Amino acid sequence: MRRDWWHAYVLAALVSVIVATGTFVGYRNAAFEHRELARAKHAASSVAEGLLPMDNVVAAYLVSPAVQSREYEFLRERSVTEADGSQRRLGGTGARAFDKRIYDAANTFDKSGAFVELVIDSDYVIAAQPAKGGVAVAITTPPKGPERFPWLVVLGLLVMGSLVCAAGTLVGGGARPLGLALGASGLAVPTFIWSGLAMALVVIGCSMLIAWADLRGSLRRAGREFRKGGIAYAFLTPTAAAMLVLVGIPFVVGLGLGFYNNNHGEWTFVGLDNFIQILSGDGRSLSDPLNFWFTLGVTVAWTAVNVVLHVSIGVGLALVLRQRWLKGRHGFRMLLILPWAIPNYITALIWKGMFQFEYGAINSVLSTVGLDKVNWFSEWSTSFASNVATNTWLGFPFMMVVALGALENIPGDMYEAAEVDGASPWQRFHHITIPHLMPAMLPALALGAIWTFNMFNVIYLVSDGRPGGGTDILVTEAYRWAFERGERYGLAAAYATIIFLILILWTVIGSRLAKKDEE
Amino acid sequence: MNRRAPKPLSQGMVYLGISMLTVVVLYPVMVILKKAFEPGRNFATSVSPVPTEFSLEHFENLLTSSNSSGDLLFLRYAWNSTLVALATTVVGLFLACTAAYALSRFRFAGRRFGIATFLAVQMFPGTLLLMPLYVILHKLGLLNSLLGLVLVYATTAIPFCVWTLKGYFDSLPKELEEAARLDGASSFKIFYMIMLPLAKPGLAVTGLFSFMTAWNEFILASTFLTDDSAYTLPVLLKSSVGQYSADWGLFAAGAILTSLPVMALFYFLQRYLVGGLTAGSVKG
Repeated sequence: MRRDWWHAYVLAALVSVIVATGTFVGYRNAAFEHRELARAKHAASSVAEGLLPMDNVVAAYLVSPAVQSREYEFLRERSVTEADGSQRRLGGTGARAFDKRIYDAANTFDKSGAFVELVIDSDYVIAAQPAKGGVAVAITTPPKGPERFPWLVVLGLLVMGSLVCAAGTLVGGGARPLGLALGASGLAVPTFIWSGLAMALVVIGCSMLIAWADLRGSLRRAGREFRKGGIAYAFLTPTAAAMLVLVGIPFVVGLGLGFYNNNHGEWTFVGLDNFIQILSGDGRSLSDPLNFWFTLGVTVAWTAVNVVLHVSIGVGLALVLRQRWLKGRHGFRMLLILPWAIPNYITALIWKGMFQFEYGAINSVLSTVGLDKVNWFSEWSTSFASNVATNTWLGFPFMMVVALGALENIPGDMYEAAEVDGASPWQRFHHITIPHLMPAMLPALALGAIWTFNMFNVIYLVSDGRPGGGTDILVTEAYRWAFERGERYGLAAAYATIIFLILILWTVIGSRLAKKDEE
Repeated sequence: MNRRAPKPLSQGMVYLGISMLTVVVLYPVMVILKKAFEPGRNFATSVSPVPTEFSLEHFENLLTSSNSSGDLLFLRYAWNSTLVALATTVVGLFLACTAAYALSRFRFAGRRFGIATFLAVQMFPGTLLLMPLYVILHKLGLLNSLLGLVLVYATTAIPFCVWTLKGYFDSLPKELEEAARLDGASSFKIFYMIMLPLAKPGLAVTGLFSFMTAWNEFILASTFLTDDSAYTLPVLLKSSVGQYSADWGLFAAGAILTSLPVMALFYFLQRYLVGGLTAGSVKG
């Protein structure tokens, strides 16, 4: 009990350091930007007043108003005053670096007045100010290396904090969590200096929470568990780290993006607007394919129809293929699983070709037997049916193979015994086959349903949403918002979050039902 | 199962039914085979699966078409696909084997949570992460790069490998490990010297599946790769039958060359696949 104070302290300190670092970096960046903007503005003002610009200025000119080019009438030219007082045309053969930026900045100034802007990613600041005879434009480079994090202060506070904690532990009893809370709260000091009261209170809150956890003994338990599973954690670390970076970060970013709106690379926080827009149907009628509820309905119908077809065809074929008298059943099995072996995007593209109006194989068959050609993707029902046909072709072999596996595990003497007892074929099917089939089919069904719910490739490649987005399912709809309808990344992210929640809900309900079934 | 075969008439009906179904199942494949060996960009309107004229021009076009700098496109994309799929497999196996072993052999706090997380991530589709991954790769300047694509594929390859390898480790006997432990071997040594060599077949099967999945992936590749020197085979195939110009002959030839290797793998591995997929969900 006496020695494990440091577990709790390390945890508390870690949380506090993360919070403090975060606030410091945020604060530092804000201060840095503020300072650089002020500097560029000052440089532009100096130019406007006819003074020489200061250091860190890469280009600063007095720019004349735009005049029409004499050579090309679609061009509008501007010239700048050089340091020696001469005039030089911007751009053209004698162009220097940044001429384009300066020209653009002068245009922006003409449109919207004086401005100053930090151009992220290219590391310079640009400012424009009104001046006599045109506009003063200055481009400055921010100096490298903003302020450092004062690690010494943090280190000192950590040492001091650990002493306070140690003292608390030595005294024992209620002094222990008190020492813990006080020691970790020490980090509130730098946080307060860099960011203000609010974040300092967060740090103190974290410390209190951890002290409270310690009081309840949960920390000690966690520490013990951790020591017990030590080697296991060592084995897990590389994978866990990779998953955190590759899945965790995108996942959290995706959740976060749902609360923003993207307008040509500019992200603005819009709160729940995206979610409201999706869930309210955005003022569209329920029969409009862009309405979320319409797409959800299509997705549910799509999943249900496919799963029913996959399972019934798959199980039906399995029941036939397990008959011992059937010659060549292994050959049939090999041929019938062929659709599963072909990459599904290729399958989808093949079927897209087969549903073509002019040359497609399906219409060729129809006209050979004397029927009219069908324009498959012009009507919702035929378009949906095309998708279903493709996906059924693609999906039944999985169910068939699972069902065959389960059927082959049924001991043959069960049927013999039932027959001896005079059970009819239907009774044998109902009391022997079905109960043996179910345990294998239920997970396969759950998996198949999730696959179909998210079967992007078939929808995207076969019907491509035609007609008018009507056959799109949720995942393709989310994709279109991101990449085909004006880069609405925020809305698409919100869509993905909603799909994720539906899947979670579904899984939870599914496993509850499965548990109930077992009881 | 039934020892008594039904009457010849109903037997005949069953044969007829299953043969017809097999023809329906094989027909799309025959259409593509026919197109690959028949000249012309469009499908012929005849229903017969036998080409009226035989030619290898599509294969020739496919294998000899090159871009402005003289690279042979199909070979280049095949190389890209191979590289991405191999790298994904290596990353997936390498990062997954230790975790799979830990989840299979040790009991520790958070084990159930870990298993549930790997299962969930493996089950949920990559398209849900597509958007944030796109934004992140864009920021990092990794769009249009095969490295970026490998990282993206790893998001699904790692949980898949963990999950299947865990199943394999579960099936291995514990006696050897216990004996080694009695002899004083460290956990790491046991894993490295005993378990990994024992798990070689499992590693091979898992690796091949992971390779197939990466080889067959279409939507992430076509979203992230817009520069035609970085394309993989699926992106090429999709663009050969685009909205405005479709060359079905070229597509058919490409589809055959692209899917033959993975189809061979599939037939070789299919009995492992079903076990792995459903065993996971049954054991939970």
